[in-house]
Amino acid sequence: MDYNLEALVNPDVESGVAGGKELLAFSDAVIGPDRATLDNARAALAETLGAAAVPAAAAIAATFSKNDRIANGCGIPADPLILKLTKDFREQIGLNDFRSAVNTFKHFPGT
Amino acid sequence: MSIYKDSEYQVRTDLADIHASQLDQLGAPGTWGTGQQRLAIAAEARKAGYDASVLEEPKESGAPIEVELPEVARNVVRHLAVSPKDFNEAAYNNARSGGLSDEEYVEIVGIVARISSLDVFARGIGVPLRPLPSPQPGEPSRDRPEAAIREEAWVPTIPNPPEGGEAAEEHFAGQPKPYIVRALSLVPEEMHRHVELEEIQYLPLRHIMEPDYQHHEGFTRAQVELVAGRVSALNECFY
Repeated sequence: MDYNLEALVNPDVESGVAGGKELLAFSDAVIGPDRATLDNARAALAETLGAAAVPAAAAIAATFSKNDRIANGCGIPADPLILKLTKDFREQIGLNDFRSAVNTFKHFPGT
Repeated sequence: MSIYKDSEYQVRTDLADIHASQLDQLGAPGTWGTGQQRLAIAAEARKAGYDASVLEEPKESGAPIEVELPEVARNVVRHLAVSPKDFNEAAYNNARSGGLSDEEYVEIVGIVARISSLDVFARGIGVPLRPLPSPQPGEPSRDRPEAAIREEAWVPTIPNPPEGGEAAEEHFAGQPKPYIVRALSLVPEEMHRHVELEEIQYLPLRHIMEPDYQHHEGFTRAQVELVAGRVSALNECFY
């Protein structure tokens, strides 16, 4: 199965993941400012993937809400091996433009 | 009885239990903050979320908060709670020059990260935020691991083995850990609480290299990583 990682930064792109459109909409809404949008996204997710997908997706969104604050809050750099493996697609989908990228590139420039 | 008994969606018992435990623990004395102070941090993070409309204030918010955080702490909490994507080294430096120690700072980051996690989950399943607990008496332990040093992160961390010595043996089970695990190691209690949530909310970390591993029933690894990747992209988390 081929997945399109560009969907992570452009949710209008087909991700190749079952229920991808609904999962991306839920991800955006659960950390977004519009409760009605979240309620609709939750209902659509349950309709498409079943009720169990809601607590599962919520748990993952919760986890990475935590991890992102720890990573960005402590200024941790990405691992050089991960940088080597991800160089092409990072450039392709613009991850190097994330503001927190500086925490990595100041230690590992040009990676 | 489950902490999420009011949810129309069934929440796994282990997940409900860990959330109940972690909420309760927020009210206990920590390593650098009292129970009152820790709850004040959690409450301030929530207030920032209400003000930014990314959280809805519940009818029952819990015991009243009876301490006032210093402005420098409030600034860190509010910024990290609602805008992690632009939280930068200048914000950290301001916190330090404003009087927060690295130890206090790391405990604050840990608390904000964990209450944000619990609150995103509640919002995701459509229930009100869980009430914060009452504070528990007692003093913080002030237990700083001597092995923690400045490495590549802004804050000191316990190095991986062998440099991390006994502390690495104790806290990393003698195995090298990625930075996302070690980031909070200046305050080991916060690090362990973070990993505890990780293992139940995300997946047991020993399975992380298995692309077909399913931790949530009916939810594939690809679906997990799509949500994980999208949330992290929105938070501009390069790591």
